[in-house]
Amino acid sequence: MLPDLPHLALAGFQATALLAAAPLVSGFARVMRAKMHNRQGPGLLQDYRDIVKLMQRQEVWPPDSGWVFKAMPMLVMAVLLVIATGTPIFTLAPPIHVMGDLVLSIYLYALARFFLSLSGIDSGSSFAGIGASRELTVGVLVEPTMLLSLFVAALLAGSTDEGAIATAIANGHMQSAGAAVLAGLAFAFGVYVELGKLPYDMAEAEQELQEGPLTEYSGPSLALLKWALALKQTLVVGWFVGLFLPFGASADLSIDGVFNGALAFALKALVIFAIVGVLSNAVARVRFRFTPRHSWAGVGVASLAFVFYLVGV
Amino acid sequence: MIPLSIHNPLALLALSLALFAAGGFASLLCGRNDARAIRIAGLSGALGGLSGLVAGLFALAGPATSFSATGPFPFAHFVLRLDPLAGLLVAVISALALVGSIYGLAYVREYAGRGVAAMGFFMNVFIASMLLVVTSDNAFWFLIFFEMISLASYFLVIFDQEREAVSAGFLYFVVAHAGSVLIMAAFFLMANATGSFDFAAFRSAHIPEPVASIAFVLGLLGFGAKAGVIPLHVWLPRAHPAAPSHASALMSGVMIKIGVFGIVKVAVDLLGASGGPLWWGLLVLAVGAVSSVLGVIYALAEHDIKKLLAYHSVENIGIILLGVGVGMVGLSMNQPVLAALGFMAGFYHLVNHAVFKGLLFLCAGSVIFRLHTKSMDHMGGLSRQMPWTAVSFLIGALAISAIPPLNGFVSEWFTYQSLFRAARDGEWAVRVAAPVAAVALALTGALAVMCFVKAYGVIFSGPARHHHHDVKEVPSPMRVGMALLALACVALGLASPWVAPVIGHVASATAGLPDVVLAQGAVTVPGDAGQALLSTPVIAVMLLAMGVLPVLIKAILSGHGRPASRRGAAPWAAGYLPDSHMPITAGSFAQPIRMFFRPLYSVRDQLAARWNGVEHGFDDLTAAARRAEPRWDVEVIDPVVAGTQKLGEKLQVIQGGDFRIYCLYIIAALVVLLALVIR
Repeated sequence: MLPDLPHLALAGFQATALLAAAPLVSGFARVMRAKMHNRQGPGLLQDYRDIVKLMQRQEVWPPDSGWVFKAMPMLVMAVLLVIATGTPIFTLAPPIHVMGDLVLSIYLYALARFFLSLSGIDSGSSFAGIGASRELTVGVLVEPTMLLSLFVAALLAGSTDEGAIATAIANGHMQSAGAAVLAGLAFAFGVYVELGKLPYDMAEAEQELQEGPLTEYSGPSLALLKWALALKQTLVVGWFVGLFLPFGASADLSIDGVFNGALAFALKALVIFAIVGVLSNAVARVRFRFTPRHSWAGVGVASLAFVFYLVGV
Repeated sequence: MIPLSIHNPLALLALSLALFAAGGFASLLCGRNDARAIRIAGLSGALGGLSGLVAGLFALAGPATSFSATGPFPFAHFVLRLDPLAGLLVAVISALALVGSIYGLAYVREYAGRGVAAMGFFMNVFIASMLLVVTSDNAFWFLIFFEMISLASYFLVIFDQEREAVSAGFLYFVVAHAGSVLIMAAFFLMANATGSFDFAAFRSAHIPEPVASIAFVLGLLGFGAKAGVIPLHVWLPRAHPAAPSHASALMSGVMIKIGVFGIVKVAVDLLGASGGPLWWGLLVLAVGAVSSVLGVIYALAEHDIKKLLAYHSVENIGIILLGVGVGMVGLSMNQPVLAALGFMAGFYHLVNHAVFKGLLFLCAGSVIFRLHTKSMDHMGGLSRQMPWTAVSFLIGALAISAIPPLNGFVSEWFTYQSLFRAARDGEWAVRVAAPVAAVALALTGALAVMCFVKAYGVIFSGPARHHHHDVKEVPSPMRVGMALLALACVALGLASPWVAPVIGHVASATAGLPDVVLAQGAVTVPGDAGQALLSTPVIAVMLLAMGVLPVLIKAILSGHGRPASRRGAAPWAAGYLPDSHMPITAGSFAQPIRMFFRPLYSVRDQLAARWNGVEHGFDDLTAAARRAEPRWDVEVIDPVVAGTQKLGEKLQVIQGGDFRIYCLYIIAALVVLLALVIR
């Protein structure tokens, strides 16, 4: 059950490919935004150029910050890379089987969130502190939706292994299709909130909170952090696609299969990020105090999926 | 007679009890020699803990060993029984006693001159009576030792003698006794049905249905009060913080586990032969879900570090009960794998919670030791001056937030897996209840992350909000205590493929079930590998391996000619002059949750209002005493004094002050005397 060499190679490939593509995802969002504003806007590769530029800049630490503040960007990126080795994205099975449990995935995201928020307090900045509080509050609000929708999918597949869920959906081995669709919708809502885009751009709300936990970062740390957050967006979309839209993902470890799986993921991600781009630029930010109304709606959809599962529709 | 050999865990347990007793009385004899009292209580506690730990670990594999004596009471045999479950509890209690005693060697100096000798005595009695409760196998002796726990810990709670501590102690005293009355009633029902006070008799008897259910509910309420489940938790967030920190660690870490132990004892061990109906398990599951969510929500709103930790104990007791509830549901549905998995998840979390909650209370104690305040709003920035304490607290915080690969995550993972299995294979009611409980657990997990980011952040990160300039790291015994528990958090997490089968065996042995597959090599599995896989060693290796990549990226990509890093002047405050009130505080950090979950906070206020009656009872009692004392004066002393005075006034009439009248008196007296003599 422990990973062998081909699986480790796949894990390494998937993690580095997603990491390499992450600035493309955030760059694409900027292009979309400019298009919707009727602006010229930056090029698709602007975020790569930004990272390289920031890497050459001086780092300035806030006076009261400690090691948490300095280590956080690297820690968060490492955790996200670990998640990337356990999520079935290019293939139907998770690259590393023992990392592919849905509870583990949820709690690894919590690990990243823990340090991201802690750095906000550690910086001593009031904006970063409020951003940290909001980041965690959003986590509290979406976690029930995400867990319940994944739980329903797992019940349909008979296992909490993400590979088993992806395989069951890809093969249509579901006792109740309605429950699977509703669980997918609820999970998509959770993933959308996790993307941190409008209307749920809470923690880093640029106009309100000066980018929240990012406020005090500069130079290479800021570059790493921006890169890590882009990786997180790629990864949560990969999570959704891998579990609920696994069509085209490779069932084996052949090089062709994995390559086609990666290509299929790129296409699906393109469509999803295009939809996300349109959505996020067409709406205004939800007032923070009203977010629970939205998140309870998400829980409601997930509960409906659960009811559908119980009655077997 | 116990043959004294290393292979007999009961002999080691007896040695441990003797050490605690001897140390306790020796500490009491030290009187005013504080340094000696601290040393004696600490060292005897540490040695007793060590020998108890070994005894408990030896007993884990079973079979049960027991010791029986007639004792002074003909109706109740003194029976000690060390079965795997008792062994687990003995090991946990002793481990915490060991660490707490080492920590106390330095920490108790804070209390020098305030009756340290008595504190050592009560600590040792407290630990010894806990060891005796979990091993005693007779209802009468169980109740005696249960009372001893309540009494010894009561004196630890009121140790500070402040008004708040005394009032919290009174509430604790009342709730603990109300609980033991209910437990007593449960045991009497069982004794009535079997004609004996021996647990052995309860165990083998078939108690008819309504009686068994009534006994179970009484036991659940009584032990639930001890465990601090909502709504019987009210004493806990007030009593635990009032005690000295190493006593709080024991109270929150192990004493409330006696409540869980009691619930399992009554429902599974004693009434197991009678076979509980499904609703017993569902009731426990519901209590667990409510306690876990409400416990953590109330914890979030706290500013007092020890109160925050105490509320988290309510939460974690809830999580343990989720596992226990699934186990009971599995038993009544006749699904041995589900039952063993549920109990195993609960027991694993029991052990883990003891370790990380003990650690967190010790760390809180270290901070209080230096800053002399419990309010988190007067801490901040301590990670620079107290790096050991900070790192230990961080490990505890990550563990209690169920962050992989630490121990809290492993037991919560098993809890999720047991709930999943119940939802997949259970009866209809269970299929509805289990996912709801899983959502409650997810909500709890997310809230716990928030709460501990807040706790660590506000205490150890950011700017300092206290005015002590000379804060130092705590002395080495305290550091050793914290480090031992921090290591245990890591070890119980990383070694989960080897720990899980041991605890699984305890669970199976307790419920009388065959062992379940819980590990294959370095991978933990919940009964069967098709359901899920988890490998904490692999997670740890992956985290280390992937940690290299960002470091490399930063080293390679960042320009070598760029200016050296520097510390800026102040955080950006949108152009305003930064001031010390701007950074986030314990209150403002949790403000969104207080806003979003307002109805749940009002539930607490309602509950508190109900319970206030008990506290008013205390005030009424002192007020009555205050009134009774003058009444003695008013009704006894005053009338006597007044009567004497009045008599004196009456007598003054005959003392006119005129000497002629006095002469008349003398003549009259002479006449009377002469008349008497002549006659």
